[in-house]
Amino acid sequence: MEIVGFALRRLLVAIPVLFVSTFLIFLAVAKSGDPLAELRERQPPVPPHTIAAEEARLGLDQPVLQRYWDWLTGVVQGDLGPSVDRNADIGMEIGSRLGITMRFVLIAMLIAAVLAILVGVVSAVRQYSWLDYLFTSTGFLFLAMPSFWLAVLLKQGGIELNTLAGSTLIYTVGDSSVIPPPTLGGRIADLAGHLVLPTITLVLINFAAWSRFQRSSMLDVLGSDYVKLATAKGLRRRTVLRKYALRTALTPLVTVIALDFTAVFAGAVVTETVFQWRGMGDYLLESINGRDVNAVMAWLLVAAVAVVLFNLLADILYAALDPRIRRVR
Amino acid sequence: MSAEPPPVSAPAAAPGPWRGVLTRFRRHRLAAAALVALVLVGSFAFVGPLLWRYGHDEITPDNSQPPSAAHPLGTDSLGHDLLAQVMRGTQQSLLIALTVAFGAAVVGTVIGIVAGYYRGRTDALLMRLVDLFLTVPTIAVAAVLGHNFAGSGGGWVLIAAVLAALMWTSVARVVRGVVLGLREREFISAARALGSSDLRIMLRHILPNVAAPIIVSVTILVATAILAETALSFIGFGVQPPDTSLGLLVANAQSAVATRPWLFYFPGLVILLIALSINFIGDGLRDALDPTQTKGPRRRRYLARPAERTDAVPDDVLLSVRDLRVVFAADSGDVSAVRHLDLELRRGEVVGLVGESGSGKSVSAAALMGLLPPTATVSGSIHFAGQELVGLAEPHFRRLRGSRIAMVFQDPMSSLSPVHTIGDQVAEAVRVHQGCSRAAARARAVELLDTVGIPDARNRLGDYPHQFSGGMRQRVVIAMAIANDPDLIIADEPTTALDVTVQAQVLAALRAVRERTGAAILMITHDLGIVAEIADRVAVMYAGRLVEVGTAADVFDNPSMPYTQGLLDSVPRLDRPADEELWAIPGSPPSMTALPAGCAFAPRCGIRTPDCSAAVPDLVPVTAGHLAACLRLTPLGDARPETATTSSIPERP
Repeated sequence: MEIVGFALRRLLVAIPVLFVSTFLIFLAVAKSGDPLAELRERQPPVPPHTIAAEEARLGLDQPVLQRYWDWLTGVVQGDLGPSVDRNADIGMEIGSRLGITMRFVLIAMLIAAVLAILVGVVSAVRQYSWLDYLFTSTGFLFLAMPSFWLAVLLKQGGIELNTLAGSTLIYTVGDSSVIPPPTLGGRIADLAGHLVLPTITLVLINFAAWSRFQRSSMLDVLGSDYVKLATAKGLRRRTVLRKYALRTALTPLVTVIALDFTAVFAGAVVTETVFQWRGMGDYLLESINGRDVNAVMAWLLVAAVAVVLFNLLADILYAALDPRIRRVR
Repeated sequence: MSAEPPPVSAPAAAPGPWRGVLTRFRRHRLAAAALVALVLVGSFAFVGPLLWRYGHDEITPDNSQPPSAAHPLGTDSLGHDLLAQVMRGTQQSLLIALTVAFGAAVVGTVIGIVAGYYRGRTDALLMRLVDLFLTVPTIAVAAVLGHNFAGSGGGWVLIAAVLAALMWTSVARVVRGVVLGLREREFISAARALGSSDLRIMLRHILPNVAAPIIVSVTILVATAILAETALSFIGFGVQPPDTSLGLLVANAQSAVATRPWLFYFPGLVILLIALSINFIGDGLRDALDPTQTKGPRRRRYLARPAERTDAVPDDVLLSVRDLRVVFAADSGDVSAVRHLDLELRRGEVVGLVGESGSGKSVSAAALMGLLPPTATVSGSIHFAGQELVGLAEPHFRRLRGSRIAMVFQDPMSSLSPVHTIGDQVAEAVRVHQGCSRAAARARAVELLDTVGIPDARNRLGDYPHQFSGGMRQRVVIAMAIANDPDLIIADEPTTALDVTVQAQVLAALRAVRERTGAAILMITHDLGIVAEIADRVAVMYAGRLVEVGTAADVFDNPSMPYTQGLLDSVPRLDRPADEELWAIPGSPPSMTALPAGCAFAPRCGIRTPDCSAAVPDLVPVTAGHLAACLRLTPLGDARPETATTSSIPERP
């Protein structure tokens, strides 16, 4: 019960933040250039009334404040506004692309989190062992690794593996095969096959920072008085580690992972461009290049809402994991 | 008789906060190497283009050449020399990253300090601003804005401005956190009380104190900025052709990894090298700026060498410690924390183990519990209830812990797990050794909590530690300690962290526990008042050695080691005039890494003789059962009364 009220309060706080950030970004995108530039310069020239009609359809003839107001009222009613591309529906487009992107973002986050916890906890418990040194240096390597470079490297590795094998062992392009397999099982396997490399990319670039964090938070807890007291009670080391150390050392990571959602999403944008997925990243670049204000706005809105939801999830998890937080605020 | 007390030596001038930073940084070999690497990359990027024969935008007739003498990194399909391009790209990337870090540092510091200093509404508002910047992926907004500026022909400055505007939040959060803590400190309150303006306090008192965390977080930010800029350029919204950046070079090479691999690998490896170096430098800086965080020594196997005992331990002696030594392996060499400790506890006896911090009291206690870190080496003998504890295998030790020997720690605020209920933690102490049912353990927990005086214990089992006061928490810890009727309770400064009134209650609880269970108590403390109140016998430790031991009456009435006397004289007493200056032992305890030769107390001793530094004095009997380690008590000391007793133990004014 307490948690529900807590969550609602957090949501209410998020609304003004969303309001201000959408306004600022709307201004920036609206000022970024003329989405009809290409239409105006087309040869042979497009008749002026067509251009005027397009301007009216996109609201370009209105002052920018009015345009934001129209956009906002539209969004509240579930209308994301017209796209520069006459045939595209922004809502539909975002819906399908979000599904594609979240598919590998969520899987990657899950794998990266599990990996980070394992690596971080082992590093901390076996501090200064060869395993700790190995994990630490791997962590530093992937922290410094540019995501796009790693993605291209893995893609190239996949291509070479396929060339060696003489058949497609591992998919390197796209989020699914152009001609999907006829059976449901085949389709799922096809999707999973395409997920492998982008997911590995995203896992590797994100787990490093998290495992470093998990290591230091575990070390803090291992040095704490209550872990000493638990040992002094005569508990087995395994019980002390599992019940006392791990339990408290996991809580801070929850927040870090949720706050890092934006970074994972940004990594996904880059990864998608390398593996040529038609996901959110691809849509963002396409919309920016087409100066499609409403599409960019919809993209950012979805990203912002996702971030807010993730923060909320983190707060709730935190409150559930740490009894001290429940009473505060 | 000297009427003047020896002046309390002023604390050694605090070393400047920056002194030693350089030394510590240099000792961090990886960071030092990384700094060298970064300087090399920097000069490669900024000086290299001046010396190299090709310009970055120069088209040579050799296109798509693999690395050769003329083109050490090869050329691209248009004939650009890759070395020239990588130098230019590195230059652009570094310029942008450094500018981003600088801008973010300035904005983040100002906002962080203001938010942390003013708190309240200002803080809430500024933190909402931070939230705002965290709600969208940086790279997406940077792409939108970068696209804006790409049209207007903006160069690296604009990209840097956009990234800085999006990246200051991390610095602001770090700074705010530190300032929130600082604000409560005395020197800030003092400055405010003296009427300093807020601006002056922020500049003169707060800024220097947040400098260290700022430097570390900004260093790391340089790496983040490099990765962000190259990624932005990679997706086409950063540095625009004809200029180039490392990200752009990788982007152009991605379709030709197989045919012209050099185009792909060289720029990518340079990014990796830069980011890696910066992270290592940041790590080194963190360690250098915060010495408490320095890496511990390499792990060493926990070593224990039990000594052969020839003497028979009488039945009524519960604990007999002989020649206990504990040595810690540290970077700067071995540190003997406990040197030759002899101690005996009879069943049901309360012994006060007294000494300043660092005298080895707590390490001795940890040795008794088998809780020393793996860097420690233990030797000597700890005979407990018919068992040798030095070198005892962990599974056997575990069975003793909490059942025969229990421990109460200093700070009850931190010695209970914050995420488990009181009932769970107390019942667990019962179950781990008695293997009874959950219900029985809970019933026993209620009983135990009643014993230590927790009101309404039954209804508080489901509460968490944060719902208890400090004194109540310490009672909970004591309840856990007596859960299995131990023979010995080690209480390590159990009241130090508590208010004076609460101290008395906790001591009363301990006394009640002793009466009820008949357990012996080893009370570790630096507070002689507590010892006087509860202890049958007193043992005084100095610099890892026992220097005096005897019944409380003997030691208090006839302190025979000058250090003990100093301790007694430094206790404020109601039976002395209030305007009388309080005696303090001059100087401070010696560093355990640089102990003086002979008697470790000699340099601070008012009655030292040259012989004091010649050999470590043994414990010798003063009266039956009262031993002290002072040269003046040994026959040798008696032989030289002139030098040794130019003043007998001086009377304190």
